[in-house]
Formats: sequence, structure tokens, C-alpha cells
Amino acid sequence: MIRALRQLAIVLGIALLPALISGAVQLKWNAEVPSKKDEVTIAMVHNNWSDHVLWVDARTRAKYDHAHIPEAVLLNEDEWNSLVAKFLDAWDPDVPVVVYCDGGSCDASHAIADRMRSELKIEKVYVLKGGWGAWSGK
Amino acid sequence: MVGKIIVLLLRLAVAAVFLYAGVMKIWDFRHGQSATPDFTLAIQHFEILRNPDLPVLLAVYLPWLEVTAAITLFVKRLALGAATAVTVMSVVFLGAIGSAWARGLDISCGCFGKDEVSIPYSSMMLRDGILLAAAVVLLVWEARRNRALIPNSKAESLS
Repeated sequence: MIRALRQLAIVLGIALLPALISGAVQLKWNAEVPSKKDEVTIAMVHNNWSDHVLWVDARTRAKYDHAHIPEAVLLNEDEWNSLVAKFLDAWDPDVPVVVYCDGGSCDASHAIADRMRSELKIEKVYVLKGGWGAWSGK
Repeated sequence: MVGKIIVLLLRLAVAAVFLYAGVMKIWDFRHGQSATPDFTLAIQHFEILRNPDLPVLLAVYLPWLEVTAAITLFVKRLALGAATAVTVMSVVFLGAIGSAWARGLDISCGCFGKDEVSIPYSSMMLRDGILLAAAVVLLVWEARRNRALIPNSKAESLS
């Protein structure tokens, strides 16, 4: 038993070394690792859905008018009631919805994604990790 | 002799499965990029780990543990530890899949990377059950082999 545990500890330790190196390298590309359950990265949107998603801009209208992801639909908390119909017109049940806000620590995208799930009963809703910053800086 | 051949075949099969599973979780060969983000998402979909950092840490570490265990199954001095590791991992995988099945989650297990063929829960349980059985056979075999070595080493140290 002790021998098994000792050998197991060695095996676990050997695995730790490449894992630490791999983890350190990937920390440099932190934006590539989603940290929340419903988050996706730009690479995942590209690889999983060939960029065929409905982008939803959860930022303010001013920021949306200034610049947004091509074909993104505006839907934010402040104008939810007036914008939701336009969003539903653009929505296709077979196409995943990816919501973004400014990036960094903004919560608007998660709030909009939560409302889509609870009020509109849409299941395929994701949040872009890094938000607009990840897109504009890509 | 027959027993040795069977154990060798089991060792090769278990090592091949774990090596393949580990490598596919480390690197996405189709897209030429790290497979960690997708494996992180796969772990998150199980909704077992509440701490948001744990799926990321597990996604980085677990594939390397699978690869290391697969290789050290062939290292005599570490084979018992490796057999213990693959047995424990098999139990954990079975438990996670069983739990997801019981909760009715519609997810892919992420066991062999993103491109794995989606199969029903019953098939996943059967596959991992077979893997666990093979791992247990290896564990028992290695435990016996190590037990048999103890008197020899004691005798050597006395002489």
C-alpha cells in the first residue's frame, strides 16, 4: 500500500512538471482559456462554428454606433424592451448567439445572456471572453 | 505465461487509450492549437466543480497525468503507481459521466478531445467500465508483483 502510494506520488509529480510548463505558457494566452461555463473565445467561435454565429452587442448605443462586430445586433440592458424585437427578428434557433460587452470585467454580456436564457428561453447563448477588446485587438 | 501475455495486452491497451486521450486533450491537431480551452469547457459542462479556477487547472494537469501514467505503466519501478493512477482516473471518469447522465445533462464527455464521436451515455459508461476493469487487473497484477519482490529485497539486504 505504502509502495503504491509512493509510486503514485512520483507519477503525479512527473506529470506536474510538463503541466506547469504548459500552464505557464498558456497563461500568456489567457484570453484563449475561458474561465466561466458559458464563455467562448474568438478562436472557439471560428473553430466550432466557422464564425457562423449571431453577435449581440451588449454595450451602449453610442459605443455600438462608433464601432461593432460586423452584423452584430444591439441589445443592451437600458434599451432591452425596445431592442428585443429586432434581436428576435435576427435570431435563428440553429445559430449560436454570442454576446459581448467592453471586455475585461464588464458584466453586461453575462447579464444579457442570462436574460436571453430566462426570458426568451434561448439555450445556445454564449459570452465572448475579453469582449469587444478581444475582437478589436485580434 | 498466458497470464503475462494477457496482462501485457491489457497494459498496451490501457496505455494506448490513456496516451491517446491525454494527447488529444493537450493539442488540437486539426486546428494546430492548444486543446486546453475546449477541454476546460468540457469540464465546466459537467457542472461538478463550483470554483471557476478548478476546471482550468484540471484541464491543464489531467491530460499530462494521463500521458505520464500511460508511459510509466511500462516502467517497472513505477508501474504500480501508474496502475493506481489509471484506476483512480477511471473511477473518477465513470463517476463524472454517471453523474452527468443522472442529471440529464446533454454534453459530450471531452474524453478524447473536441473531435471525438458523440456517443450515448450508456456506451460511455460501458467503455469506461471496461477501462476500469482492465485498470483493476493491472493494479492487482502489479500489487502482487511488488509483494513478491519484498522478500527478495529483504533477503538481498540481509545477505
